[in-house]
This record gives sequence, structure tokens and C-alpha cells, in this order.
Amino acid sequence: MARFVVRRLVSMLIVLFAVSLVTFFIFQVLPNGDPAVRMAGKQPNETQIEAIREEWGFDEPVYVQYATTMEKLFTGDMISYFTQLNVVEEIWKGLPRTLALAIGAAILWMAFGVALGLYTAMRAGRVSDTLLTVLALIGISMPVFWIGALMNHYLGFELTKTLGFELFPNGGYVEFTENPLEWLHHLILPWIALSILFIGVYSRVLRSNVLDTMNQDYVRTARAKGVSERQVLLRHVLRNSLIPVVTLWGLDFAVVIGGGAILTETVFNLQGVGQYAADAIGQLDVPPILAVTMFGAFFVVFFNAIVDIVYAYLDPRIRLEESSA
Amino acid sequence: MAARDETLGPDRGGSEFSPSLEIELTAEERRAGLAGAGPYRLAARRLRRNRIALSFGGLFIVLVLACLAAPLWADHVAHRDYRDIPGSSETVTKGGEEVFVVGLDGVPIGPTWRGEYFLGADGSGRDVMVRLLYGGRNSLLIGIAATLITTFLGLAIGLAAGYLRGWVDNALSRLLDVIWAFPVILLGIALGTALALGGLKIGPLEVSGSSLAIPVFVIAVVYIPYLARPIRGEVLALREKEFVEAARAQGQGPLRIMFSEIGPNVVTTLIVFFPLLVANAVLLEAALSFLGAGVQAPEPSWGTMISDGVDRVVSAPHLAVVPGVMLVLTVLALNVFGDGVRDALDPRAKVRIEH
Amino acid sequence: MGVPAARTGRGEVIRLREVVRSRPSGKVLGVLSALALAAGTIGIAACGDDDDDGGDGVEGGEIKIAQTSQPDFLDPALSYTVNGWEPMWLVYTPLLAYPHEEGTAGSELIPGLAEDLPEVSEDGTVYTLTLRDGLTYSDGTEVKASDFEHTIKRVLNLESGGSPFYLAIDGAEEYLEDGDPDADISGIETDDATGEITITLVEPDAAFSNVLAMNFAGLVPGDTPFKNMTEDPPPGVGSYEFTESVPNRQFVMERVEGFEDLGLDEGIPPASIDKITTEIIKNIDQQAQDVLANELDYMQDPPSPDLKPQVVEEVGPDGIEEQRYEEFTTSSTYYFFLNVNEEPFDDPLVREAVNYGIDKPALARLFAGELAPGCSFLPPGMPGYDEAFDTTDCPYGDPNDPPDLERARELIAEAGAEGAEVTVWGNNDAPTDKVTEAYTEMLNDIGLDATPRILDGGVYFQTVGNEETRAQTGFTNWFQDFPHPLNFYFLVDGDTIQPTNNQNFGNVDDDMIDDEIDRLRLETDLDAVAEDWTALDEYLISPPQSYIAPYGHRKLALFLSDRMDFESAVFHPVYNNDYSSWQLKESE
Repeated sequence: MARFVVRRLVSMLIVLFAVSLVTFFIFQVLPNGDPAVRMAGKQPNETQIEAIREEWGFDEPVYVQYATTMEKLFTGDMISYFTQLNVVEEIWKGLPRTLALAIGAAILWMAFGVALGLYTAMRAGRVSDTLLTVLALIGISMPVFWIGALMNHYLGFELTKTLGFELFPNGGYVEFTENPLEWLHHLILPWIALSILFIGVYSRVLRSNVLDTMNQDYVRTARAKGVSERQVLLRHVLRNSLIPVVTLWGLDFAVVIGGGAILTETVFNLQGVGQYAADAIGQLDVPPILAVTMFGAFFVVFFNAIVDIVYAYLDPRIRLEESSA
Repeated sequence: MAARDETLGPDRGGSEFSPSLEIELTAEERRAGLAGAGPYRLAARRLRRNRIALSFGGLFIVLVLACLAAPLWADHVAHRDYRDIPGSSETVTKGGEEVFVVGLDGVPIGPTWRGEYFLGADGSGRDVMVRLLYGGRNSLLIGIAATLITTFLGLAIGLAAGYLRGWVDNALSRLLDVIWAFPVILLGIALGTALALGGLKIGPLEVSGSSLAIPVFVIAVVYIPYLARPIRGEVLALREKEFVEAARAQGQGPLRIMFSEIGPNVVTTLIVFFPLLVANAVLLEAALSFLGAGVQAPEPSWGTMISDGVDRVVSAPHLAVVPGVMLVLTVLALNVFGDGVRDALDPRAKVRIEH
Repeated sequence: MGVPAARTGRGEVIRLREVVRSRPSGKVLGVLSALALAAGTIGIAACGDDDDDGGDGVEGGEIKIAQTSQPDFLDPALSYTVNGWEPMWLVYTPLLAYPHEEGTAGSELIPGLAEDLPEVSEDGTVYTLTLRDGLTYSDGTEVKASDFEHTIKRVLNLESGGSPFYLAIDGAEEYLEDGDPDADISGIETDDATGEITITLVEPDAAFSNVLAMNFAGLVPGDTPFKNMTEDPPPGVGSYEFTESVPNRQFVMERVEGFEDLGLDEGIPPASIDKITTEIIKNIDQQAQDVLANELDYMQDPPSPDLKPQVVEEVGPDGIEEQRYEEFTTSSTYYFFLNVNEEPFDDPLVREAVNYGIDKPALARLFAGELAPGCSFLPPGMPGYDEAFDTTDCPYGDPNDPPDLERARELIAEAGAEGAEVTVWGNNDAPTDKVTEAYTEMLNDIGLDATPRILDGGVYFQTVGNEETRAQTGFTNWFQDFPHPLNFYFLVDGDTIQPTNNQNFGNVDDDMIDDEIDRLRLETDLDAVAEDWTALDEYLISPPQSYIAPYGHRKLALFLSDRMDFESAVFHPVYNNDYSSWQLKESE
């Protein structure tokens, strides 16, 4: 086990390094034009452009530039010249909001995805299964920014006008410390919008896994031994079907935090890390995009590694349990 | 944006798709005397019986044809091009009245359900139906082109990594890891933005920032690991099989083996993945265009239309609803059909959507 | 570009354009009331002032207002945007100022911290002023004459966008090149004992008094550091002071007690409302909804085109409820530049054709109606502006009528420019991108082969202002920095052309224009030469010159909650909405 962990971490570091190289390449090396002018923002004057050039080392060879960029990123010394704000600080400020969105949605989609998956597996082949599967497919096919925007408008804005009171708020985010109830209130629609896609995916994965597992030998053995259907379902089938789903969940969660929540945040105006990046894109403001891309990818790689380790840890134990059933 | 459909999942987790060459026939199929039939014939038959998948496949064809017919609609029905902006004095008949296409306060008309401005006008006064069809052309073109590139590169990388193993596998797998590490949207935005700035210059090749080739390239790269990994997994399994041993014993070189022995056997995987990749590519293009990192003005795409529509969702909701519905229908059709193809080829799926 | 303007509040950024070392130039949001607006009473509810009635409002109270993005700077030496000038005008007062009145009355110069308007020498190069006695900043510090020189030093030393204006002062160039913040500017002499201030210019400039009245020259204490003070704005002399500044979240202004005792000109009244909190709310639709719901008292940007119909319907001039929304035409001109150095616009026939071919009412609709179609370069409210020329007497036809496409096509054919390839430049600040696309189609309509090229707003003006780009035509606009035609005409002055950061995008280089500008620069009596400016405008616009293609003047809005007394609010031609004129309706 220990060897596995070490190997996995080393591999992770290599990938992290490669990620940083690629990000650097995309932003500093790939585009045309003078990078100092590009970064200088709206009111560039010669002194400022020169200062940027020196600070980021654009006159230096590429590897020095790379080192400088990495240093600025990790010491938190990166400033966006468009907004005059420190990039890393802004990311810290937006992080709780992105986390609130991601964690809430993750719990929601896991719960509903599993429930729906189990239900359709039980009713496999029947009309309800077909209908719900099509519904799940529709969920997978809907762009989250579209359904989110429409939900925000029709449920948040129009419904409020019709009802006279605000059943759903029209976007925005309320700090938990300010008003926990409103915090929750403002997150309901975003959670739903973000979950729809994943519920669709997860219900189908689970359904598929459950159906596969149900026909495995050890399950048949358990049934033959006289274990009740319910017990069979819960102890053997579900647990085994869940393992791949849980690992998938871990990955998707990492992706959502790493940047997958951009669209939902933008549409509901939650001002999280994702929206910070989206706004920077609108300005072609390089430092925030650079930082968010880098940190997002890092988070994903890191989380992947953890999940891998956990999975490896869990796996032998489960195999042990199986044989004793 | 579909993050991960189960067939596009990582090496672990999700239901692994693994078409075996030994097809398990259902009792009914055995009765029908299909024992011994080739896998493709069997799959085709299964697919034919799957009415739902077929009808959605048909829907997709219809949508593609409609988008291809965009110039016909523009010329003969709407009498407007997708870039045409009406003059301030131009009026259109709607509900029996002559109204300005775009009102003095900037609000465009909604659907007229007649030839001109069938689905209404956008904020600049352009015909929504015409833009919808041309936008569909762009979105589908980008989706399919990107998927073709992904398929080509993903296949090559998967084959090489799976068969050659060793340092080739290591290097390629790390490469896939790196691409995989970037959340799809971020990578797309990062590349799209960086390239939109000044275009791309690789040696003699120069592409302007507003060319459609850029979103195609971006989306293609992003999805390579989704395909390369499963292919690599399959190749790893296949290379141990007897027929590969035999080929090696016969002295065939690795390239030859990769292409003529192993290649054809992963084709089924490709067939299954293709519609699903196109679906994801179209969604990603819409997301990128929505954020401004995809298709650039004046070319339309469903993503840019949704973006414009969201800006006017209070005064002209049809602008947001229409392109979104088209997008959902297209992606849904691909997903359902792709599901049907998978069910037809995967003998492990015990229950399928039928009738 | 895709980030939805409505959802993230990225509406049209009314940007005072970046200016670099060139001749005095600038772009200010000037505002001039529409003809329909009655003068209204100016809410000067000054304690102890028995002059007027004010509105029906009351003293005191607190309000909450919103801006869409953080002002570029909360430092008078640096700020060069509407977001910044609108609040700061009330906090910092320069030696000269403008009365807090609407219309042309608000464009006349009055003494600010100086006792009187300046004495100008015969040759127009020496300006003498005397500082008023007994002035103190909001923190109680005494105001000294030498503070003026320090204020100007900050503008120069911090490389403010406004520094070009002050390079007109003798010794300013040298000071800048020296780089030593504490060095002396030879052209400014001050005497703290007598309060006398003498400014010597390099050469005469009729607009210099206006330059002295700009926000950049708002006096700050002589010990204000040479750095960006946004997070802790310095004290000034004004009816309000900044008491809090959290960049990108909010800033707070509070009324200065005793301001009226300083004895400034009656054109600079004290304020009524005690405390104004400005929040940065990125979502414009959110702001509009909040003002409608009376949860927010004012929004600086106009409501988005999406919500505007609703706002107008409910609280517009003919609205269902009591009016609290109104539009005003500003002293601005929106036009397309035509690069005379590049084909096909080097041909006057083509330029004439463009002017005939653009559909101005159609473009106005892209601004949700907030653009008054026009024909002249000088905007309404500017001395020299001729309404007839701007409308009915326009050589290309009344701008409110549909364009004469036939004539335009004839001209293109005559010039042999059919199918000429044109790249049309624009940026992605809504609705500029749509305007650029529409203009592109108009060019296609008259026979050219045009494609749009949309850049990000942050890099747009630098890109088209770089001669390497060779931009043929594209979007641009100008809002007055101060009410003097020189402020507009530098944009078409051949002498201001430079290879980078050029503002004369069309490279207009006409001797007749250049000479007239130089001549009129020396004329200090603007009223006397207003007609000459009008004639120059006509020359610039009419064929065969047709140097630019203007299409209108921007309108902005005043949109208040129902807590506010709408009648008493003043819309100033230079500084937009006057917070000091606001009053609450009744105490709560």
C-alpha cells in the first residue's frame, strides 16, 4: 500500500508540473502580440508596460519567464492590471461561494442520482423505466447555462411578479454569515440547475451497475442461501454498484470545483471563482485566467490522486467482505 | 455540458464498455436462428428493433438536413440572409399589422409564424429562424469536425500506448493525464481565449482569431483522453489474445499489427463513442460560444444565440428559448441514438430500451 | 462576446478614453438636458439661505446607490471616468468650477476655490488667481496656495490620464522628465501669505481655464502622498467627503458640516442628504429591479435594453406611476472613423457614400433609443453647436429619416469601390458589438465587402490607435471633458497624429482644419467665435471632406427611487447627476 501511495504521489507531481508548463505555454507563449501590452489593461502607459515587462520577465528567456510566473502564482503576488486587485486574494474570496455551490449540488445529485438509478433498475424494462431513462437523457442533453438562465428568469423573476412574493430569488449570493436562511434560499435554484446533468448521468450509471451486479454469481449464491431480497439488494448489490459511482463522484466533484461551475455561477451571478474567471475572459485579462486555470487543474489532479489512493485502500477490503458473504 | 457520460468515464468506475467477440444471444435470437451470425449483423438487427433509438436517429438526420437547407430557407422563404439587418423604416406584417422589426425602444418582434421572421427577430433585427439554421450548421460542423479529429488522434494515441507499452505508454498516458486534469470548460476557455487574441501561428500556418478552426481545434483536444483511455484499455486486453500472438509469430511488425489486427477490433468502441462525442462536442461549443471563447461575430452558433437571448430574456424570451430547444433536441437525439448503438453492440446490457 | 451583459452587468462602459502624451485632450461625460425638460427648481436647501425654495424635499437622510464597476480611481489626480467624476466632483473643488445647474448655465465657468475668474495677460500665457481666505479641507486643515502646485505635481508625477492637459504649463514637461516628485514646476508660482497663484503657459490656450476647472485640479493638501490614494482618499473642499472606501465593494460619502460657511460661490451649494453609500453591484438588471422596487435609490448606468421598456412603462415620463425616470441628451458624439490613409476611404466619394448610407435611426434602436440621431461633430450644449445642421439641414438628409441608399450606391459605383474589402473594428462592450455588426451590414448594403472584427473593450482603443493595425474604419465616440470645442477638435487635428495611442483614428490631416484650430485656440472669447466653430464643423462633415461619419449623440438617464424628490435633482452638462442637489421626499 505504501509503495502505491508513493508512486501515485510522484506521478501526481509530474502531472502537476506538466500542467503548469501547459498553462504557461497557453497563455504566455502561444498568443501573438506583446504580452506586456496585453496584460497592461485599459490605460497602459509606457512606464507601466515597462514595469510589467520587468516584473514578469518578458525580455528573459522562456524558462526564466516560467519560473517567474510560477513564483508569482504561488507567493500570491499576482495582480490583474484591469481591476488592480490581487488575483489570489480574489480567488480566496470567491472560493467559499464555489464550494457552497459545488458541495450542495454534489450531495443533491448523488442522492437523487442513486435513488433514481435504483428505482429504474428495479423497474427495468417497464414503462416507468423507459420514461425516466428518457428524462435522464434529457437532463444530460440540456446545457446548464441555458436551463439555469431560464430557471433564473422564469422562476426567479417572472414567478415573483405573478405570486407577489419571492419564492425563488433572482440570482445573487448571500453570505452565510449574514443570513443563513437567505444563503440557502439563493442556492436552491443553482443547486438544482447544476445537479440536473449529473443526476441524469449517475442514475444511468447506477442502473447499469445494479443490473450487472444483480446477475453476478455471488448474488445468486446469496439468494440461493435464502438471504432476503431486501438484504441482497442493500448489502451486496448496492454496495458493489456504488463503488464505481463514488469514485466517479469524487472526480466530478473535483471538476466542478476546478472550473466546471463557471457556467452556473455566471448565470446565477454567484460571484464565485468560476465567475471571476468568466469575467476575466470577457476582458481578456490574463492573470486571473492563468491563476484559475492553474489552480483548477491542480485541484483536479490532487483530488484524483487522493481518490485513487482511497479506492485502492478500499478495494482489497471489499474483496475480502465479498468472499465471506 | 455533459461532464462524463458513463461510457466516457475513466478507467475505473462507470460501467466499462467492453464488446466481446463472443456474442451472447438472447433466447429469442437463438430461436431466430442467428447463432453464428457476425457481430455487426447481429448488432444491426438489434438496432433495427430498437424503435426509439431509430426514431431519435432519424430526428438527428432531420435536424442536420434542416440546417444544411439553411440557404434554401433564407433565399426562398425568409428572403433574408443571416447577416441581414433591416433598415429602420422596414416593416413586417405581424398579426395583420405593419410593425417595425425592431421597435423604437429596441425590442424586437416575436415569432410571426409566417415566411419572413418565422421565429421573430433578434436585437439587431436579424431573422431568428435563418440564424438558427445557419447557427446549427456552424455548431454541427464544429461538433462533427472536432469529433473526427478526436477520433483520429484518440485512436492513434490509444493504439500506440496500449500496444507499444513501455515508455511510449508512459509518456502518452501522462499526456492524457495532463489534458484530463484540466476541467473541460477551463481548458476550452483557456485555449479559445488565448487564440482569439491573436490567432494561431505555427510556422507557416496562420489562423486568424475568428476562424471556426479554433473552436474545432480546442474541442478536439479536450476530448482526446475520453476516447484514448478506453481504447488503450481495450488494446491492452486485446494484445494478449491468440490471434495477435499468431500475427507476431508470423513476423508482422508492430505497426502492421496495430492497424490490421487490433484496429478493426476497436472499431466497435469507436462506433459507440462517436455519437456521444459529437453530442458532447456540440454542448461544449455552445458553452464556449456562450462565454465568448468560441464562435466569433458575425458568425452565428446556438451558443452565441443563447448568449444574446439571455441578455433579452425579459423583453424577448423567444431569443433564449428557441436556440436552447434546438440544442437540446439535437444533443438528445444523439444521446438516445448513441445509447441504442451501444445497446446493440454490447452483449452485457441485459435490458435495453425497446419499442 | 458571450458573457451576458445583463447577468453580469457588463453594459456599455461609458469610458473616458485613455489619453497619453499628446495635446490636451480628454473625454468627459458631459450632459445636457433635453429640450423637453423643464428647468425645474434646483434643490438648494441651504440652511440660513433665504434665497430659494428648493424642491419639496427635506434635509438629511441616508441613501444607497449603485455603480456597476469600481471607479477607476478614487483619487482626483487619477480618475478619468464617469464613475469617478460623478462622486468626486462634490468632494474636491478646483480653483475654478461650474455652477450646479442644468443646460448651458451649467457650462459657464465660475470661481471655485479662487476668489475670481483668472486674470489673463495680453499674450494669453499668464494666468493670475487668488485663493479665497479661510478655506479648510474636510479634515480641518488649512488650504494654502502652494497646495495647487502640489495637486498639479501629483497629476503629472502619477502619470495620470489627465497629465497631457497640464503639460501646457511651462516647466511641466521638464518636471515630468526629471522624475523627482518634489522638484519645482517653473511655470507655477504660489504665495501662501497672499494666496496668489500665477501660472505661465508654454503658449496661449483659450481652453486653459476649463482645464483649471477639471476634476484633476481639485485641490488636495500639500502633504498628500505621491501614490494612488483610492483606498484612503485624501480630504478635499466640497459638500461631501469620503469616509470609507473598500474597492470593488463600496464607498461612502458623508456631508461636510460647515461647508456653507466657507463662502464659496452660490453656484456651488451645500448638500442635503447626510450619507450616500455607493455599492458596486455588477449586475445591471439587479440594480434596475432594485431601483424599481425602491430598495436602491439610484443607479448610475442606464437600465439595460432588456428592462428599459418595463422601467419606462412604469415610471417614465408617461408612466403608470409617478415619474422618476428621465433621459437626457449628453454632450457626446458617436461616430465611425474613416481612415483617409487606407483604401477605400482615401477616396472622398466613398466617405461621402458612407455618410449617405448609414441608417441612423436603426443604430439608435440598438441603444434602446438612448441615442439622438445626429449629423454634426460638435454635440448639443457645446458652443458652436448648430441644431439645424445637426438635423434638418444635414447635407446627407435628416438623420431621423431613412438613409438615401441609392445615392450611396451611386457614389460607390462612381468611385469604382464596389466589392472593396473592409474590416470594421469594434469592441465587445454592449451595444458596441451590435452597432459594429450593423454598420458592417450597412457598408455591405451600399456595395462594399465588409466584415466585423470585435476586440475586447480593454484593448480596443490602443489597437485601432496603433498605426500598424491600419484600421480602415470602426467604432468610436467622444464625451466632452469640458464645454469647449477644442476638446473635440483635437480628434481631427492633423498635428495630434502619432504612431501609437493615436486618438485621431481617421488620420484626418487637413490644413484648413489645422489652421483654423490654431487660430481659434488663441481666441479667449468663445461667444464671439462660436460661429467660426460652427463653420468648421460644417466643413469637416460636408462633402467633399466627409472626414468622419457621425450618427448621433448619446442619452443618459436619471433613475431614482420613490424616496427621492425627483424634481429637485440636477443633471449637470459636465458631471452627470449632481448628488448635492438630491433630497429625500419626507423623513422616515
